[in-house]
Amino acid sequence: MGKLRMPPPHGGELVYRVIEKKDYAESMAAGAIEFELKATTDPKGVPIRHVYREIVSVCYGFFSPVEGSMTQNELESVLNERRLESGWVFPYPILLDVSDEDLKALDVKEGDRLLLKLKGQPFAVMDVEEIYKIDPKDVATRTFGTPEKNPEVVRQPFDEKHPGWMIYRCMNPNVIAGKWTIINPPKFREPYDRFWLPPAECRTVIKHVKKWRTCIAHQTRNVPHTGHEMLMKCAAYTGDIEPCHGILVNAIIGAKRRGDYPNEAILEGHEAVNKYGYIKPSRHMVTFTLWDMRYGNPIESLLHGIIRQNMGCTHHMFGRDHAAVGEYYDKYATQILWSEGIPSFGFEAPPNEVDKGLKIIPQNMAEFWYCPVCGEIAYSENCGHVDKKQKFSGSFLRGMVAEGVMPPKVVMRPEVYKAIVKWWKVFGYPFVNNRYLENLNKNLEIDLEPMEIPKA
Amino acid sequence: MPHYIGVILDESRLAQIKGTPLEEKVQDLFGGQLKMLVVEVPEDKAQQILKAFDRARIDSRGFLEDLPVAFKRALFEEIAKAKSLDVIDKVLERLPEIQEAAKKEDEYIPPPEIE
Ligand SMILES: [Zn+2]
Repeated sequence: MGKLRMPPPHGGELVYRVIEKKDYAESMAAGAIEFELKATTDPKGVPIRHVYREIVSVCYGFFSPVEGSMTQNELESVLNERRLESGWVFPYPILLDVSDEDLKALDVKEGDRLLLKLKGQPFAVMDVEEIYKIDPKDVATRTFGTPEKNPEVVRQPFDEKHPGWMIYRCMNPNVIAGKWTIINPPKFREPYDRFWLPPAECRTVIKHVKKWRTCIAHQTRNVPHTGHEMLMKCAAYTGDIEPCHGILVNAIIGAKRRGDYPNEAILEGHEAVNKYGYIKPSRHMVTFTLWDMRYGNPIESLLHGIIRQNMGCTHHMFGRDHAAVGEYYDKYATQILWSEGIPSFGFEAPPNEVDKGLKIIPQNMAEFWYCPVCGEIAYSENCGHVDKKQKFSGSFLRGMVAEGVMPPKVVMRPEVYKAIVKWWKVFGYPFVNNRYLENLNKNLEIDLEPMEIPKA
Repeated sequence: MPHYIGVILDESRLAQIKGTPLEEKVQDLFGGQLKMLVVEVPEDKAQQILKAFDRARIDSRGFLEDLPVAFKRALFEEIAKAKSLDVIDKVLERLPEIQEAAKKEDEYIPPPEIE
């Protein structure tokens, strides 16, 4: 193998639809029809998604080449073939959905310009390309697949217990399609601001600051224990003529569920891994992407690949049960996709071997556990003492944390634990609880500066 | 199928069972860095516990996890009192009181005193 280099953005060019110049931004919004963005809520009224996160991720290029809310043809193409109309691979519907009442009140038609507001302030504009109806339940089911249509990897029908299926199921029945442009760049609050590195900047940092020729991405939505740390370290031994130069941790930040760790602890916990030298900062960097996780296992892994290729990574590590919840998919569904493809989802070959596919290289990893015989955290494909294995269990660790027991350092680094305790003191709770959710849903991760739009 | 509950032993808990037959049952985890007692829970009682606490679940190792701290505390109290691991019935007798305490834990758990 020759030397690898940073892959191009997915689709060829990085999307960047953000207007920094205030007077130009104001003139773009002048006379537009105003619409305040709303959270998608479940039947109990609990917010489970906020489209603002998708607008940010689209406009800053994380989801390149997607540029906005999809048209009906684009949606069908994604659901049927996991490809955009242009042919480029893309896994999920990206939609601005509105209720019948809102659509009526808005009185918009194709060609109109909408001013999307957030927290009462102007945020983004879109030129309406198409307005059409969807059947949310049908979109939800086709997004994730069924045991009948996708027998390779779908093990049970998706239902109300699956949080990703519920996001699409709970969408409004009208979609407004069109390209989004942010006109009031969001200001990330602490500590998010320290980890905000959109693709264009991230590629520059990797190339010119970190000087990484190769870089492997690590997906997370958790505070890291040493099992995660070993996964990162060992997966990074792949590369080309030498191990990967860098490890890019990219946390998915979005809707939370009770019992999760707070976002703040997740980001600072990962940061502690490099700050305290477990993986040197010259080799390890922590970032995030706004997205309400759909838990789509193989489908989600495609989005992860796209995001991290756009951020400039050459490789992506995939573990067992990648981005999974429950037992809807085969435990190895993501690895099946990236090693042989899943024809029923439109992949006769792995996504990095198909036309207009991804250029990022998968590194499929098995498990890590503590082995008392080896006396170390062992890789399942090395360690022969299977009956002696002590598995890392996230819920076991959560129990320890809740009881106020400091986890032994062979399981969690003390500085990572301190990051949990730091935010525990702030929120009065080590995990996400109702109060945390209320605050997050009200304040989101950002603030917007006040902006006056001249009336037309 | 039996399930299990792991009771983590910190220094103060270890001191409370010192010199009792329980000492022999202490399991070493992670190279001895973590000490634990393992309580076996029959299927019907595991179901009763799962029903009592909506976030409780059985993990891939067959352990009941995400139990309220109040439950874990009561479990250890009964173990220390009886000097035995056969206490799950005693704990279940206290279920209403534990559920009451667990409700408060949904909103506040005092952080540990570390710098
Ligand atoms: Zn071993």
